[in-house]
Amino acid sequence: MRTYLRHPFWQAAGLLVLAYLVIAFVIPLLPGSAMVPSSVVLQYMATVLVGILIWVSDEEARWTQFKEPLHEVLVQPRLKMVRNGLLAAVTLVVGCLTYSQVRASVAAPPNLRSIHPAPPPQITFRGKTITLVGLDNPLRRSGDMAAHLAVGRRVYYQNCVPCHGDHLDGQGHFAAGLNPLPANFQDNGTIAQLTESFVFWRVAKGGPGLPREGTPWNSAMPAWEDFLTEDEIWSVVLFLYDQTGWKPRTWEVSAEAAK
Amino acid sequence: MIHALLLLTLVATQDTTAGKQIYTKWCAGCHGDNGAGDGPAAKHMIPPPRDFTGAVYQIRSTPSSQLPTDADLLRSIDEGLFGTAMPGWKSRLSDRQRRDVLAYIKTFSTFFADTTQRPQPIKFGNAPGGGSGAEALKVGRQFYDSIGCRKCHGDLGRGDGPSAPTLKDDAQHPIFAANLHENWRFNGGGTVEDIYRRLRTGLDGTPMPSFGDLIENKFLTDEQLWRVAQYVRSLSPKDAPVVRDVVHAPLTKSLPHAPDDSTWTAVAVYWFPLVGQIIHKARWFSPAVTGVWVKAVHTADSIALRVVWDDRSQSPDTSWLAHVGRVFATLQSDDSTPEQPAPWPDQLIVQFPVSIPTGMERPYFLMGSSGAPVYQWRWSSIARTAPVAGLARGIDRFEPLSSGGPAAQAVYDHGQWRVVFTRALASTDTASQLPFRTGRAIPVAFFASDGSNGEHGSRMAVSTWYFLALDEPVPARVFISPVLAMVLTLGLGMLVVWRAQQKTSYRRQQ
Amino acid sequence: MTGRIFSVVGGMFLLTVCSKGSQSSAAPAAPPAPAAVENAAAGGTITGTIKFTGVAPKNPPIDMSEEAACKAKYKTTPTEENVVAGPANALANVFVYVKAGVPAGQTFTAPTTAVVLDQDGCRYHPHVLGIMVGQPLEILNTDPVLHNIKAIAKANRPFNVSQPSAGMKTTRAFTAPEVMVNLECNVHGWMHAYAGVRPDPFFAVSAANGSFTISGLPPGTYTIEAWHEKFGTQTATVTIAGTESKTQNFTFAAR
Repeated sequence: MRTYLRHPFWQAAGLLVLAYLVIAFVIPLLPGSAMVPSSVVLQYMATVLVGILIWVSDEEARWTQFKEPLHEVLVQPRLKMVRNGLLAAVTLVVGCLTYSQVRASVAAPPNLRSIHPAPPPQITFRGKTITLVGLDNPLRRSGDMAAHLAVGRRVYYQNCVPCHGDHLDGQGHFAAGLNPLPANFQDNGTIAQLTESFVFWRVAKGGPGLPREGTPWNSAMPAWEDFLTEDEIWSVVLFLYDQTGWKPRTWEVSAEAAK
Repeated sequence: MIHALLLLTLVATQDTTAGKQIYTKWCAGCHGDNGAGDGPAAKHMIPPPRDFTGAVYQIRSTPSSQLPTDADLLRSIDEGLFGTAMPGWKSRLSDRQRRDVLAYIKTFSTFFADTTQRPQPIKFGNAPGGGSGAEALKVGRQFYDSIGCRKCHGDLGRGDGPSAPTLKDDAQHPIFAANLHENWRFNGGGTVEDIYRRLRTGLDGTPMPSFGDLIENKFLTDEQLWRVAQYVRSLSPKDAPVVRDVVHAPLTKSLPHAPDDSTWTAVAVYWFPLVGQIIHKARWFSPAVTGVWVKAVHTADSIALRVVWDDRSQSPDTSWLAHVGRVFATLQSDDSTPEQPAPWPDQLIVQFPVSIPTGMERPYFLMGSSGAPVYQWRWSSIARTAPVAGLARGIDRFEPLSSGGPAAQAVYDHGQWRVVFTRALASTDTASQLPFRTGRAIPVAFFASDGSNGEHGSRMAVSTWYFLALDEPVPARVFISPVLAMVLTLGLGMLVVWRAQQKTSYRRQQ
Repeated sequence: MTGRIFSVVGGMFLLTVCSKGSQSSAAPAAPPAPAAVENAAAGGTITGTIKFTGVAPKNPPIDMSEEAACKAKYKTTPTEENVVAGPANALANVFVYVKAGVPAGQTFTAPTTAVVLDQDGCRYHPHVLGIMVGQPLEILNTDPVLHNIKAIAKANRPFNVSQPSAGMKTTRAFTAPEVMVNLECNVHGWMHAYAGVRPDPFFAVSAANGSFTISGLPPGTYTIEAWHEKFGTQTATVTIAGTESKTQNFTFAAR
């Protein structure tokens, strides 16, 4: 056992296996991670392999020692079974890979969707023109915040819960039937990155109001201007930020970033 | 002693104070500020949220009428109640937060304050060995009949028993007998152990009684009750269905027109979940059809599409009118005037674009738009063999086409509709009737209404776009290239071996 | 002894219902009438008759076609028992009880004799019953079909148990006073029974002729309430001195 552990070939093989286990099984366990797609796994493994090859060939003695078991398999008469087995296995794998490549199977067309497409400079809300550029949530400057939040909360629970969920994480009880999945407001990539005017636009105009790059034909987001008043939408926007703890992106920051 | 009591009280107060904050933030939206199950979301879901003031809980390990244990309550908080709007909070709140909220929920009812009512979990026996074999399932089926499960759950378990239309919970809300073919939607979990526990304890507050007394009365042995659980479990697939985007329709010699044609048995089946139409007025928050099972085949000139879905009633059926009334009374409607129950039929709509799109752009999934219509087949239980083909330009605009629609055959069988649509691949009116072509991803979507659940018009269950592919026969080149690649690889490998051996023997000779 | 008072009234009622329903198989005989009402003599008695004005709503017929075994027990189509009217507008199945006036702190021992609720012909017998806190409620199934017995209660723990065959017996008890606990069968949506749960023995259920008797009352002033499932409640105040017998009639308006 110890001789195997010291041998560069078996060290290299061990490292490869270990790297695979970490990428395929340990990484998804880390908080905030998901399953690593197989194409990405392949890329990582290729990188690891190159690294290992550089390491074993770095020193002449280690390189020779590394090649030894490979050479043994190729020439040793007592390893004839292993040799033939390997030959057959490699041949079969190549055959299968080729078959899966050439077999023409109809797949769903790729869905290239822009998650946060550029908003229009202004929208018409129930006949009223609203300029989105530079617009902040008007409710932050007027009235009682607690009352606004109470309205937002009622609006959210009466309308948004089935898709966006009780935890605002896009996992409501209807979410599984939708594609694209409802937005996850707890994620740092949605409302945390957006101005309140952007969120207002998305709520007011819904899926049908998306530009072409946002794949409006797939989105199940209703155009809420048909259901809610302007103040109700601003209230629910307030509620989203209050409930998740995110701060909306402000126009000053975006303007500075643009400088 | 007094100190201990004081400490206990302190701990309890702390828990419920922290718990109240969590509760108010995350739970009250459905369950209400005072725990009465009357939060703002309450009238937008069936089953409605639990009313904590009565301390009546479905999912328990204790006998009927007893309070649940803390572990029981924690499990419902952690895992949620499957098939309902209650999510699992295990990954969403910390252990401490969930325990605090549990302590707070118990303060809504005086029953928990009464320490003489300490809940005692039932000691459950272990699952009998070999319980899922054919013989065991046969025994389970016998007891399924003899203890009367079929009265509500139906002969084949699809929740369509004779008493099903009359069921209501303690608060007079409508309630469905569970469809035993969808164990992933069982409120308390779908394993055989979960099912056995529900049989032993009953689901308090619902029509589902406890069958625990039967064991105490020696009417049934524990093992026989396990067999019932095994039988019920056997009705659902091994794993919950997974959505695959593309329905592959293989090429067959003859077209199966009948829903139960033997050709269908060898064809792969695809599951598509449906959810309530809550995008356009009037919205529908409580759809009865949970999904459709789809199979498709084609011949050189025609296509057959089989859609199967579970529906507890063969609508229109007046025996369900009272149920519809309860549904309308429970849900808040978008309409200003409340609707009156009527015996509506069941409906199914299969939707395609007017032509196969070349890019990724396609019409709006929810019945197209005025500028980009969709091509639909509309089937109704009152015209089972005469589906109507037409163009939809939005959810409330449908223009029937005069000719060239599909044919259909339908079967209603113990809580399940099976409908086969057949049509020629080619179409004479290519401007409005989709011509089917092989080897292409054809967008397809499904919509279903259960008339006996009050569904009609825009009140229905909907899916998003999926795809249908008429597979072409596998060309010969598909087999040539792998064989070629294998021959090459083998040859190359042998060459490497031969060279290596040559070299070695050469060295040895030297 | 208090359970016996009920038994007398309830038993009379049971017999009437059975004869009215013209059932071939009789409900199990009512528990034998108590030998003596010895303690009752020690107190006062309130008797009365319950009537209603107006036209009683028709009891809807029950479609028992799904349950051949139950259907066979009736010669004519059975109906629900929402309003059971006797001759001269007498009203049966009214739960009459002392709502207030029994001195606080006075406790009464629940009888060990069970109150029997029988499921026969897919109907409950009796349809309305009174029971004391802690007194056993014996639920019988005389039908060879599945019944589930669900108690819907607020002050008491609700329960829901199944009895899939004839001869099954379940015994339960209530822990708190409650007027009324609803009992129902979900397999047969038409089956309803009502239990008045009281901490004292001063209650009765009106018989087919509308009569009721509450006896053994110590001297005092009492609020008497009469409860009917369709017509609501009526109250009256009655003062009892010594062992006198007083009459208190109630008249409901049909609705």
